[in-house]
Amino acid sequence: MSAATTDKTDYRLSGTAWKIAAGIGALGLAGSAAGFAADAQRFAFSYVFAFFSFLTIAIGATFFVLLQHLTNAGWSVTVRRTAEFFMSALPIFALLFLPIAASVTQLYPWWDGADHGAHHAPATAGEHGEHGDAHSPATPELAHDDTAHPAAESGHGEHGQHVAGGRLSEEAIEHSLHAEVMASKTWYLSKGFFAVRAVFYFLFWTFLALKLFRNSTLQDSTKDLRLTASSQAMAPAATFGLALTTTFAAFDWMMSLLPNWYSTIFGVQIFATTMVAIFSVLVIVSYALRASGVSGNAITTEHFHDLGKLLFGFNVFWAYISFSQFFLIWYASIPEETVFFHLRWSDGPWKTVSLAILFLHFVVPFALLLSRNTKRFAGQKILVLAAVLLLVMHVVEMYWEVLPNYAAARGIGPQTDAALAPHWMDLACLLGVGGVYMAAVLFRMSQHPVVPVGDPRFGRSKRFENV
Amino acid sequence: MSVETTTVSVPEGRPALLLAEYETPGACMKAAAKLRDAGFTKFDTHTPFPVHGMDAAMGMGDSKLGWIVLVMGITGLMTGIALITYANGIDYPIIVGGKPAISIPAYVPVCFELTILLSAFGAVFGMFGLNQLPRHHHPIFESDRFKAATDDKFFVSVEYADPKFDADRTPELVASTHPNHIEIIEDTES
Repeated sequence: MSAATTDKTDYRLSGTAWKIAAGIGALGLAGSAAGFAADAQRFAFSYVFAFFSFLTIAIGATFFVLLQHLTNAGWSVTVRRTAEFFMSALPIFALLFLPIAASVTQLYPWWDGADHGAHHAPATAGEHGEHGDAHSPATPELAHDDTAHPAAESGHGEHGQHVAGGRLSEEAIEHSLHAEVMASKTWYLSKGFFAVRAVFYFLFWTFLALKLFRNSTLQDSTKDLRLTASSQAMAPAATFGLALTTTFAAFDWMMSLLPNWYSTIFGVQIFATTMVAIFSVLVIVSYALRASGVSGNAITTEHFHDLGKLLFGFNVFWAYISFSQFFLIWYASIPEETVFFHLRWSDGPWKTVSLAILFLHFVVPFALLLSRNTKRFAGQKILVLAAVLLLVMHVVEMYWEVLPNYAAARGIGPQTDAALAPHWMDLACLLGVGGVYMAAVLFRMSQHPVVPVGDPRFGRSKRFENV
Repeated sequence: MSVETTTVSVPEGRPALLLAEYETPGACMKAAAKLRDAGFTKFDTHTPFPVHGMDAAMGMGDSKLGWIVLVMGITGLMTGIALITYANGIDYPIIVGGKPAISIPAYVPVCFELTILLSAFGAVFGMFGLNQLPRHHHPIFESDRFKAATDDKFFVSVEYADPKFDADRTPELVASTHPNHIEIIEDTES
């Protein structure tokens, strides 16, 4: 990121950066298209991974902006514009979603309904080995029995009665369990409803991003206080809406890759991920803006200190939520819940990735960010190091969320080395989605000042100090 | 020096504090910086609201509290690990839910909570200790004018116990920072 202008009060980025990003994005998309032609299923999973790696940043940026309006925050005004740039490109994900829409049959085992994804989950009962193809389609009675809906929550008890009665073999029980779980979800995991929801998410996100961005950038020239009031007035309801759409988008596009698995905390986990991602991005971009002089003296040590505190806090929150999800599933050890960690925590290549996430996404950044000094002194180099590490681990975490499902879809057991097989398409999709997204962000950055010069609290934010 | 100086004395007291009153936060901060540059360490500022830059003007270093909290937090973590390992793994091994007697994930909630608990104790009681609390009385409250510290005046207090303190020269130094008023406050305790 280079400063185009020497005038420090101009606060504008050069117009070349976004073209470079667009070039990278075009190359990445071209590679992805070649990958799609070569192996459509692998492409689909790589693409979902890339899509979520950047969608989470855009959603996190929107959360950040809403949070500042919710709390009438003065401290964050000079860094809020950076988040607004990353938010403003959220609508482009509606276009970037099209390859996923075209790949639903490759990705979502429930799409065709017949199989209910039961074969998708090898060895759901733990170490009983692979019995994927032994599953036949769900019994019609269960699949179409509307009374099965409440059984999604209480089905385990009935299951136990079957065991006590000794009337069914273990495999048959497990099979009926899948059928029950899947039958209870058919109303939700259906083509029409899925499409309606996706359209709704994108309409809502587009409205939010464009409205908040317009309010802020319009104020640069008009200095109209009503624009701040408008953003603050919409913030409470918008935060609820964003929380719900984020949760359900995570359920729809990521959790339903493994449709017989469910975790009610999954949406919160993705929310925590978005926050870690955006604070990492804000630290890195603010550092670059300050180092290049584009932001003048608007972003100070005090802002880095607070961004660092929030990055630390949300990363601990992320670890807390991630562990909560693991812990409850591990302790209860119910087959349709353990399948998620069976794919990621069995002795095999994904366990190594899981441990890498534990140490490099939590333990090491925790140690790096704990001290006040690392956030304030030595030019924030340690803070930036931690932010870069967390951003890389964010991408690794998205990979870890998505790609084990690919191995499962191909019937590759999690204990075999082939379960983790990085592919050039992963990189192509990452560069494709990331390039397009960053091009949109950097284009906006070249069109508007990188700090909200018209905000009534701008001067206060420049002088802000942690006491 | 033409600064008005009064003494608040009590029977059998001895000089404890030199209290200077200022009209503005800027004057107060300049006085603090002057004392810092003169090598004083046992002095404090009293203002109705937080004044940005005062920490630097007073030459305050990092609080030791973080280290106390860190040590207490690690103690809590180790206590949790030791407790569970001894109770579940050594003294009375029992299989619960098909998990091994020593099972790391099951440690986490207890170790986490103990880490938080002892860290919080460290933060609260460490803060008490560093501030020499609880303390029911401080000689500074002998001053009537000091009540304005929570209203519209800014104060600097220098302890007589400061190694740099000189009964003649220090009041002159303080007077050179243009306070409204100087008071000498004597300790009522001894």
